[in-house]
Amino acid sequence: MRAVVLETLGGPEAARLADISAPEGQHPLGIGGRLLIEVHAAGVSFPDLLRSRGEYQMRPELPFAIGAEAAGIVVEAPADSPFAVGDRVAALTHWGAVAELALAMPQHTLHLPETMSFAQGAALYLNYATAWYALHRVGAQTGETVLVQGAAGGVGSAALEIAQALGLRSVAIVSTEAKAQAARQMGAAEVLRSDGPWLEQVRTLTGGRGVQMVVDPVGGDRFLDSLRALAIGGRLAVVGFTGGSIPELKVNRLLLRNLTVCGVEMVQMDQEEPGTVQMVNAAIQTLADAGQITTLIGPRFTLADAPRALETLARRQAIGKVIVDVRPEA
Amino acid sequence: MRAAVIEELTGPDGLRVRDFPDPVGAHPRAGGQRLLVEVHAASVSFPDLLQSRGEYQISTDPPFVSGGEVAGMVIEAPADSRFAPGDRVAGMTIWGAMAERALALPDYTVKLPDAMDYAHGAALWLNSATAWFAVQRAAVQPGETVLVQGAAGGVGTAALEVLKDRGARSIAVVSSAAKAQVAREMGANDVVRSNGPWLEQVRALTDGRGVEVVLDPVGGDRFTDSLRALDVGGRLVVIGFAGGSIPTVKVNRLLLRNLTVTGIGLDPMDHRFPGTTRRVSEAVVALADRGVLRPRIGARLPLEQGAEALRILERREAVGNIIVDVRA
Repeated sequence: MRAVVLETLGGPEAARLADISAPEGQHPLGIGGRLLIEVHAAGVSFPDLLRSRGEYQMRPELPFAIGAEAAGIVVEAPADSPFAVGDRVAALTHWGAVAELALAMPQHTLHLPETMSFAQGAALYLNYATAWYALHRVGAQTGETVLVQGAAGGVGSAALEIAQALGLRSVAIVSTEAKAQAARQMGAAEVLRSDGPWLEQVRTLTGGRGVQMVVDPVGGDRFLDSLRALAIGGRLAVVGFTGGSIPELKVNRLLLRNLTVCGVEMVQMDQEEPGTVQMVNAAIQTLADAGQITTLIGPRFTLADAPRALETLARRQAIGKVIVDVRPEA
Repeated sequence: MRAAVIEELTGPDGLRVRDFPDPVGAHPRAGGQRLLVEVHAASVSFPDLLQSRGEYQISTDPPFVSGGEVAGMVIEAPADSRFAPGDRVAGMTIWGAMAERALALPDYTVKLPDAMDYAHGAALWLNSATAWFAVQRAAVQPGETVLVQGAAGGVGTAALEVLKDRGARSIAVVSSAAKAQVAREMGANDVVRSNGPWLEQVRALTDGRGVEVVLDPVGGDRFTDSLRALDVGGRLVVIGFAGGSIPTVKVNRLLLRNLTVTGIGLDPMDHRFPGTTRRVSEAVVALADRGVLRPRIGARLPLEQGAEALRILERREAVGNIIVDVRA
């Protein structure tokens, strides 16, 4: 089969289109047997870039195909699984998705509703599971206001759409006009620019009180202002540090204003509280089935052009999920 | 009336016991509700010392009567309040308690159980309310294990009592053998010493997993180890910084292990969500009625020695509340 493969950990330039043998056995991180997918669309994300440079701890032996997410049609499924041959599915694969066939992990695979394209399916699992779980951990209630940092990014844009589905009011923070446009498209109630006086604007938008929640996949220097943007009793979900630097928090900032800061990482939590991933899967499946998830699709590549997909991520200019159309839709 | 008066903001030396006018009107933080108490016992704690130096965020201009907590008998109560003249009560005054009469704050006042004397009543509200609110904000469930820093302190001992009542297992962290004894008396399931390998001991006591919750009134250098003592998904409640220094946390420590850090401050919470303090008071009185809360008295002095009460705080001598008997 054809796949985009890394034979060395040489970064984006090392990715090559190659003919390799179809995957055998089951996904090494999969639970529940061999689930093989005929890939129609694959998603490439930041962890793919890190993995291509050997900077990500979770990776297979070389050579391996890139692609953290896949959407396609089930070719082989375990007998006792919720999946059957012919099912349309969306799956987290961590690697191996930019290939004609890929192994999925049953515990991180969803049924793709007919209303969603394969490209949308390849943009579904990672961002939406993370965003939903973040909002769950901070106890989001209908009618509350959530500030979303990096709102045009993968987790950020998913958080906007889920916020809308849950009846939350969202305030999106973005760094460019193009990203502001994307945030609006994803349902942001308000959009503010990170290079403007956004903290003051947040206060004005909330009657001076601040927001009840912040979802922060960015970190960096903005963290302190995110805390300042919270109302008394507010909650902040730490989802990641795409801004590069890791914030330091002086905890007296939490004390008088009764703030909560909460780290969010679903797979770790599942080990402590089994059933966590299942709960998140069910929630995303329900939202997807109800037509409440559209996803933000970015640049698209054919399989032949797919080695360039990693470079696109490295330049950090793409808005939306980088998709490889392994089998272009008619 | 006789009162312990802060004349100038120079610390305990600025306090003089003298005649002082009776309180007029309502306590400025009581929303116009005049609740006048005939004081039997007052309690002083760290904020009172800070107020005497002009270093506390909530205060008033001198001369003012010192004393943050009171127990006594109601003389006058608002018509529509839960209180009536003759009621035995205890609660917060923020200042004004070391005097023959004091203005109380109705939301911060509870009826004293018959079985509790005034001296213990004066030591009831602040520590119990803080401990209960912390346990509540951490959403402690029966069967969970909770690490209590500063477990022989005022909030710490109250927390041990609240946790035992809730069916949680407590691990007390204390700094001396005497404090270990106090923590055991107050119901700690396990006691570890802060100057020993307590983090390893906590892990050993929890089969290597760590605790579900940490309650931390201490702060300081121990904070990072408190985070390390948490199991995946654990919660830490920041109550205060009795240890002096304010900890800093690099937030990636929270990310992968799904940790939650929550601050608690009752007064701001009540401003934003009115009724919070009232609910806390109701919980405190319910626990006191059932005999769950037994405040500890560390020192007891007559009103004439009001300045000495603050000095004991300054020297950090007392294990337990410092009580000033206004009517012996």
